[in-house]
Amino acid sequence: MPKSQYIAPEDVRSQSWIEFDKIPVNIYQKTVKDEKDNFSKDEFLRIYHDMRMIREFEEMLMAIKVASNYNGVEYNNPGPAHLSIGQEASAVGQAYHLTPNDFIFGSHRSHGELLAKSFSAINKMDDAELQKVMEGYMDGRAYSVVEPLKDKRNTVKKMAISYILYGVLAEIFAKETGFNQGLGGSMHSYFLPFGVYPNNAIVGGSGDISVGAALFKKINQQDGIVVANIGDGALGCGPVWEAFMMATMDQYKELWEGDMKGGLPILFNITNNQYAMGGQPRGETMGFQYPARIGAGLNPEQMHAERIDGYNPLAVIEAMERKLDLLRNKRGPVLLDVVTYRYSGHSPSDANSYREQTEIEAWQKVDSIPAFARQLVEAGVASENEIKAIDEEVVDVITDTIRLAVDPVKSPRMDLSKDPSAIERLMFSNLNLPALSDAKPDMLLAREDVPRVKQLSKKLRYAYDDEGKAVSTNRVYQFRDAIFESVLDAFYTDPTLIAYGEENRDWGGAFACYRGLTEAVPYHRLFNSPISEGAIVGSAVGYAMAGGRALVELMYSDFLGRAGDEVFNQLPKWQAMSGGMLKMPVVVRVSVGSKYGAQHSQDWTSLCTHIPGLKVVFPATPYDAKGMLTSALRGTDPVIFFESQRLYGIGEEFVTSGVPEESYEIPLGEPVVRRQGSDVTILTIGATMYPALKAAAEMQEKYSISAEVIDARSLVPFNYDLVLESVKKTGKCIVASDACARGSYLNDIARTLQELAFDYLDAPVTILGSRNWITPAHELEEEFFPQPSWFIDIYHQRIAPIEGYSPTQSFTDIEMLRRSKYGF
Amino acid sequence: MATAVIMPRQGQSVESCLIGEWHVKKGDQVKKDDPLFTYETDKATFDEVSPVDGEIIAVFFEEGDDVPVLLNVLVIGKAGEDWSEFIPEGATADGAGKPAPAADKKADTPAASQAVAAPAQAQAVAPVSASPTAVDAPISPRARTAAYKNKADLRYATGSGPGGRIIERDVDAVVAAGHIATSAAGTDYTAGIAGSGIGGRVRVDDLGQVPAIALTDTSAAVAPLSQLPEYEDKKLSGIRKIIGEAMHSSLSDMAQLTLNTSFDATDIIDFRNRLKAAKAKGLDQSLGFSLLAKVPTFNDIILYAVSRTVLKYPDCNAHFLGDAMRFFNRVHLGVAVDTPRGLMVPVVRNADTMSISEIGAEAATLAEAAQQGSINPDLLNGSTITISNLGSLGIESFTPVINPPETCLLGVNNINTRLRMVDGEAVPYQAMGLSLTFDHRAVDGAPAARFLQGLVKNLENFQLLMMEN
Repeated sequence: MPKSQYIAPEDVRSQSWIEFDKIPVNIYQKTVKDEKDNFSKDEFLRIYHDMRMIREFEEMLMAIKVASNYNGVEYNNPGPAHLSIGQEASAVGQAYHLTPNDFIFGSHRSHGELLAKSFSAINKMDDAELQKVMEGYMDGRAYSVVEPLKDKRNTVKKMAISYILYGVLAEIFAKETGFNQGLGGSMHSYFLPFGVYPNNAIVGGSGDISVGAALFKKINQQDGIVVANIGDGALGCGPVWEAFMMATMDQYKELWEGDMKGGLPILFNITNNQYAMGGQPRGETMGFQYPARIGAGLNPEQMHAERIDGYNPLAVIEAMERKLDLLRNKRGPVLLDVVTYRYSGHSPSDANSYREQTEIEAWQKVDSIPAFARQLVEAGVASENEIKAIDEEVVDVITDTIRLAVDPVKSPRMDLSKDPSAIERLMFSNLNLPALSDAKPDMLLAREDVPRVKQLSKKLRYAYDDEGKAVSTNRVYQFRDAIFESVLDAFYTDPTLIAYGEENRDWGGAFACYRGLTEAVPYHRLFNSPISEGAIVGSAVGYAMAGGRALVELMYSDFLGRAGDEVFNQLPKWQAMSGGMLKMPVVVRVSVGSKYGAQHSQDWTSLCTHIPGLKVVFPATPYDAKGMLTSALRGTDPVIFFESQRLYGIGEEFVTSGVPEESYEIPLGEPVVRRQGSDVTILTIGATMYPALKAAAEMQEKYSISAEVIDARSLVPFNYDLVLESVKKTGKCIVASDACARGSYLNDIARTLQELAFDYLDAPVTILGSRNWITPAHELEEEFFPQPSWFIDIYHQRIAPIEGYSPTQSFTDIEMLRRSKYGF
Repeated sequence: MATAVIMPRQGQSVESCLIGEWHVKKGDQVKKDDPLFTYETDKATFDEVSPVDGEIIAVFFEEGDDVPVLLNVLVIGKAGEDWSEFIPEGATADGAGKPAPAADKKADTPAASQAVAAPAQAQAVAPVSASPTAVDAPISPRARTAAYKNKADLRYATGSGPGGRIIERDVDAVVAAGHIATSAAGTDYTAGIAGSGIGGRVRVDDLGQVPAIALTDTSAAVAPLSQLPEYEDKKLSGIRKIIGEAMHSSLSDMAQLTLNTSFDATDIIDFRNRLKAAKAKGLDQSLGFSLLAKVPTFNDIILYAVSRTVLKYPDCNAHFLGDAMRFFNRVHLGVAVDTPRGLMVPVVRNADTMSISEIGAEAATLAEAAQQGSINPDLLNGSTITISNLGSLGIESFTPVINPPETCLLGVNNINTRLRMVDGEAVPYQAMGLSLTFDHRAVDGAPAARFLQGLVKNLENFQLLMMEN
């Protein structure tokens, strides 16, 4: 799309061959003996220690799971434990050269990776720094539990190891002293001060989130790279492919300028443990045979992909060193295919019926931990006694750790009967932080020189002129202009803000909301993304986790399904799952279509309201659009910001002073009265307000029914006060929106009003939604979406019959029953 | 042959475009694909380029014009060629005249979306049963509450809601038709008891018990604004109820009665003259008194006097609620305003706490808003006494109609010259007429007359009243 790139037919149509470089497979074959000059004895022993500690930690979990006993400590752990026993060398090898500023994201089987990365960080940080982290994190809550071990673990680094083991174990056991107050658990453990970002219970979930974190590093010029740990099984997941597409975009090299030019600092580490649930990617469920092969299809650099022997920690260390060099020199991204094997099943309930015991035994024979110990002894690096001493220390450390973690007094659970709102407080952070960094926002023009700002200065900011006549479409300040102004102001306010979507740059958005931003905002802050809704939202999640603010766009509400996991599982959950450690300042603009049939015209607000942790709003006027988007962009919570394509061209019809030029906020969650009345309350969501107002005018004119129309503006949160007051006054209520009626949020509102205003009601609260059909063609839409006459029809049939009125739509009991019976 | 360049249609829904910038002017030579002008839709800006080589021989529109699509914008041809056939509708020539403006798409006016909600009317007059029947129809919670509150005899109700449900309007109809239990029996009335009263009304006897009648003091206390409740409800005495019932039956819906009197307007005329004289001397500028900036009208003076008088006559600053009187501790003055839509009564709230200038300014603002139809409906509710001034229309006396549930309405008449005997000699003076209508169910003649008398005294000594307050 950029004008600067010319697509020449003679190039595109010319004859040639695509050539690939050879992909290295397990080229490194050295042992301890060969590397004696490159590692000190301490370094070799630390590699052994770290692998051994991870193994012991997971065997402890396995023992607790199957026997409820480890080394005499009894405990029952009902939660999940996806173990990576057998994979330790790949984890320790990966972490060896990573610094605390490098981030790793993990899978649901990432205890090993997160512990290895933590041990590596502990080794690289100085004692004072470590002490500060331990005493500062959660006000030293977890540290105070392990502090009595001080005499036994007599160095800060040893204490830090006990500390990290304890924090992770307490988290796995759902203890309040865990690193995330027990709200993350085994599959969502992490510890940000060591650069350990979340694991993810959704296979491949970290794929696109990691891309966002890498974008944060790159755009905000932060030190460090990002590792996405995903398994070979995750290569079957769409969002992982979307992540690959976003990570390899040409624009990083072709269009981003200055310091921003160059590849994304991300390494996709495919922990290739040969199994994906019960399926076997190689030979059964996939066809690439080598995950490393995939890199060749992704970009000309073939992602620098290679296969590494993950059973040899030295091989992984050597590969990481080379790849880190590429990444730090802006030559990423990188893909590694790290061969490994898990002895344990997918989970303790897995009976391993899909593999022969002989296969497991064959891998155990080459088990990386005893093999590495043998190499150390054979190379004369350490004696057998020294190895034995490490083994004994490891068991002692883990025993101390579990003893503390199971103790109900030292390690209590969150007490929700004493403090019922403990989780509530973590669902939203509810902060107002207009800028997330002190840096100067990177912009191309002064605000007053932005061409669209100049154009807008000529527009009329109220929909009617002095004589009450409607201002023509071309002269009126429109809804889309309100979106533009709010976004532009946010770009000038928050240096971390980035915005992207499928047509955000030169085109300016399919609905012209961003027209004119291209001139003002540099490429790295406003860009076009691939058609990858999952990765668009997923990367925004990662960008926010890393400390930035992202504004992303789904062109149509109907595409929410394409971003299902990201919108429903990732975006809403991380604030609470982190025990309040993470903020999620992400605004997802979602446009609700019209005129475009069954897959481009659906209002899916209700799907979003169903998921705890999302704020969901749907403004219907330019004044609200600007004020509410500004609120959303200054907040720290995820907001799904719905817009109706019916409304982009409208002017402000309610605030007579027009839409202010300066920034202002409208709090999320507060409905507003659009027309006062006394006989019936009509509460609408989104664009449905306009047909409701038409209906109200007709009711007044023809039938002397005085309707009060309230615009909900927000769905979550929602303050009922105003609506209740109105319903208590009128005794009658219609709740309406363009969403299909069945399962719509309208039903929630109606139920709540019914319960809270029952004694005041003159008729049941009734809902008016779209038919439970596909959205038909534009020409037939009047039979599908609520029309002004439908309001009167439903009033007549379900609330208070109007003498002499003939309805066109049937809302009778019998019709309701018929529709339900047949599933419409 | 000259070539006309039209305003392109960029999209099916585009009806007109703004001309953004001219790149050429009349007389310029252009080549094919040279930019001619930019134009804007509400979504995007486009460049229009020349389709041919030639000279710009006519330009019909100017920058900033909103040009309907498909209209000719300019003509390219040879110098001196005739272009008159290309003149679009509404354009003169060479962009010198005013082009035809794009038709406004929306004919809606703000009134459509901001219409003042008129008070609810009976949407369909609900029928009432001719004779009592057993109550077995479903009834809405709201209707049940209304029936209980208004003592409606539900056996007369006809359910007009969906499925024959009795809804609020059906109860209203029952009440309007007079099918109510007697007030005394009211609080203990439950539907279904056979009434032995007139028309089957449930009487106290039917209940087999006599509810206690509370006697309460009706004198209004004076307390600072912040401590005062908005109003207080006091149970009617038994006698009041009987009078209410009697007056009601004798005068059907209401028991309205009008007292007429007049007062010596010398003092208020003098008051205004003094203010006008002071203003003429420029004292309004030097002293900065709002009283001088806008000299109060006679109507302002009456409003002020009522606000300062009526609290001493609580019966006249009250609502009659059927079985109770609501005495207000503040004075909310309804001011009848003649508007193109008919009579409207905006309310000056807390008038007893406002200065005469404030009252005057507020009344003027409200009257204007009412006349323009832009008034907030909330400002039309909650008056405690209403003033209707027909004096400026030369009315000497009339029977104002009460604004329910208020108990009184004060009509203001014109000023006439009257004679008074002073020392055996007829001395002329200016008199202004007052007509007070009151609801005899709520107020007896004497208290109403005392209120009027108090008001007259205050108006005749208006300048003293001003000093006192």
